[in-house]
Amino acid sequence: MKKKHIIGVFDDEAKVVAALKKCKEMHIPIEDVFGPFADHDILKQHTKKSRIPHLAFFFGVMAVVLTFSFIYFVTVIDYPINFGGKPYFSFPPMVVLMYLMTILITGTLSSLVFLGRTQLLPGKQAKIVDPRVLDDHFVMLIEKPDDPEKIKELLRNAGAKEIEERDEE
Amino acid sequence: MIASDLKTPLIKGNKNYGQISNELLSNVEKKPARWWFIAMGFGTLMLLYGAWAIYMTFSKGLGTWGINNSIGWGWDIINFVWWIGIGHAGTAFTIFFLVFRQKWASSINRSAEAMTVFAVMCAGLFPVLHLGRPWDVFFIFPYPNTRLLWTNFNSPLFWDVLAITTYLLMSITLWYFGMIPDLAAIRDRARGKVKKALYGFFSLGWNGSMRTYNRYESVLKVLGGLAAPLVISVHSIVALDFAISILPGWYTTILPPYFFVGAIFSGFAMVLTLMILIRKLFNLTDFVTEKHLDNIAHVLKYGSLIIGLAYMTELFVAWYSGFEYEIHTFFKARATGTYSIQFWLMFTFNAVLPQLFWFKKIRKNIVTLFVISIFINLGMWYERYIILISSLSQDFLPSSWATFTPTLVDIGIYVGTFGLFFSGLLLFVRYIPIIAVNENKPIVREERKKTQNT
Repeated sequence: MKKKHIIGVFDDEAKVVAALKKCKEMHIPIEDVFGPFADHDILKQHTKKSRIPHLAFFFGVMAVVLTFSFIYFVTVIDYPINFGGKPYFSFPPMVVLMYLMTILITGTLSSLVFLGRTQLLPGKQAKIVDPRVLDDHFVMLIEKPDDPEKIKELLRNAGAKEIEERDEE
Repeated sequence: MIASDLKTPLIKGNKNYGQISNELLSNVEKKPARWWFIAMGFGTLMLLYGAWAIYMTFSKGLGTWGINNSIGWGWDIINFVWWIGIGHAGTAFTIFFLVFRQKWASSINRSAEAMTVFAVMCAGLFPVLHLGRPWDVFFIFPYPNTRLLWTNFNSPLFWDVLAITTYLLMSITLWYFGMIPDLAAIRDRARGKVKKALYGFFSLGWNGSMRTYNRYESVLKVLGGLAAPLVISVHSIVALDFAISILPGWYTTILPPYFFVGAIFSGFAMVLTLMILIRKLFNLTDFVTEKHLDNIAHVLKYGSLIIGLAYMTELFVAWYSGFEYEIHTFFKARATGTYSIQFWLMFTFNAVLPQLFWFKKIRKNIVTLFVISIFINLGMWYERYIILISSLSQDFLPSSWATFTPTLVDIGIYVGTFGLFFSGLLLFVRYIPIIAVNENKPIVREERKKTQNT
């Protein structure tokens, strides 16, 4: 991926939020913002709400249905065992298993979806914008347009500590 | 309320982000102190004792244990239940933090989670060893085997397997996901090649992107929300192992909630014990302040009240049932008979002693906090001892009454799990940031905002 970028390094998250607001007003698309922690003001300006919880709900429903069908299949159809005349199909113990399997399946699948969607993999080489990003600096990454001065000026006015043009990312 | 928050900040010293990184990552970046090696040596010795005990169990069989025909569940199951209880605090803290948004939990969260992971590992060992033929452990898992049999899905023992497996998996996931940004921070600061490569491998290519943070927070909330019911279910299901039997002292409906509260109670006590040590040894008193310890003491105080209520309810129901075997177990065997010393020790340590936390002087004194937390751990062990041994040793038939004496192998396995727990924790404090760095920076920020506004 060869792209030209403008990078603004900030040392205060409030300044980033101000810069993001301005960019929004001027309809400048932001590629990404980097920082040492999830700052909720930045997230509000920069990202949409994640859909993982909706997906998790779907996984949960799926898990309940799957577990119920599996246990029904085993205890009633495939291998019914007569325990002292008790019914083959007994719901209360299934509740416990459905409860646990819902947690197990939803947790596992949501985690996998998260890793897949964010492309985090063991051993993956990190693309580090600035080595100070996970310490105490915030970085705005903006795709370089035809007229970079406008953006540079905006970043400067917002209080960026360093502004840099980078040709490769 | 706000005024008091301002007076006692959650993180002392008015630190900036750089300082927080420096201080919280110092345990990974500096060489460990001498005490660390000594402690690790002790941990390894305990592990070796445990390994010998396990070798004896495997090579000679369960005859090396103190169990007999009447008392089939001895120290192994006592310790299993005890360790599982200890494990509960980590997940409880995660829920406090992620679901109830209790900010103070953020600086204890990580180490409590580590405790959970190692405690559940210790606990999981016991039922496997108890099988007698541990190499056949896969029989428990639900798969259609060569005889086309399935496991008995109606058995609480099977639920237990599933509950603990799920719990271990979820705890490890929550713990590991929580530390990814911190591992990445270490990677970016590391100078050594090997260190950089190792932390790079485990930080999954994390680069601090806010888009990733957004999904990260969202998935952590989902996992936290899922772990919340899990905390309640794990120990309740362990309690069902007992409650579904017909033995007096076990066959009570109060057992699941009673076990659950006991688990949270003992877990918090263990967190208190360890946090007092860790904050001192790693100089983290700015992050784990007196206020944090005070909060834990409050939880213990109320937990102790509920535990006390459960003990009294059990006694009342036994008397009210008019069932002679129940009355024998609860009043003759436990309160006034063979096991009265253990019973009253349990009662004092769990229901009476923590009530001292009503006094501010005792809550503020680190020494009393530490001593009482150790007594609670001991009391909770006695609770499991009472439940198991006193019920099993004197059942319906006096001719089959028996007593239980632990053997060196019994003790060895228990000591061995301590070795596993401590050496695990020691490795944790050496290679992983003890306090979540990325979760504490926003807290500092919030506090700064608050002071700016006033």
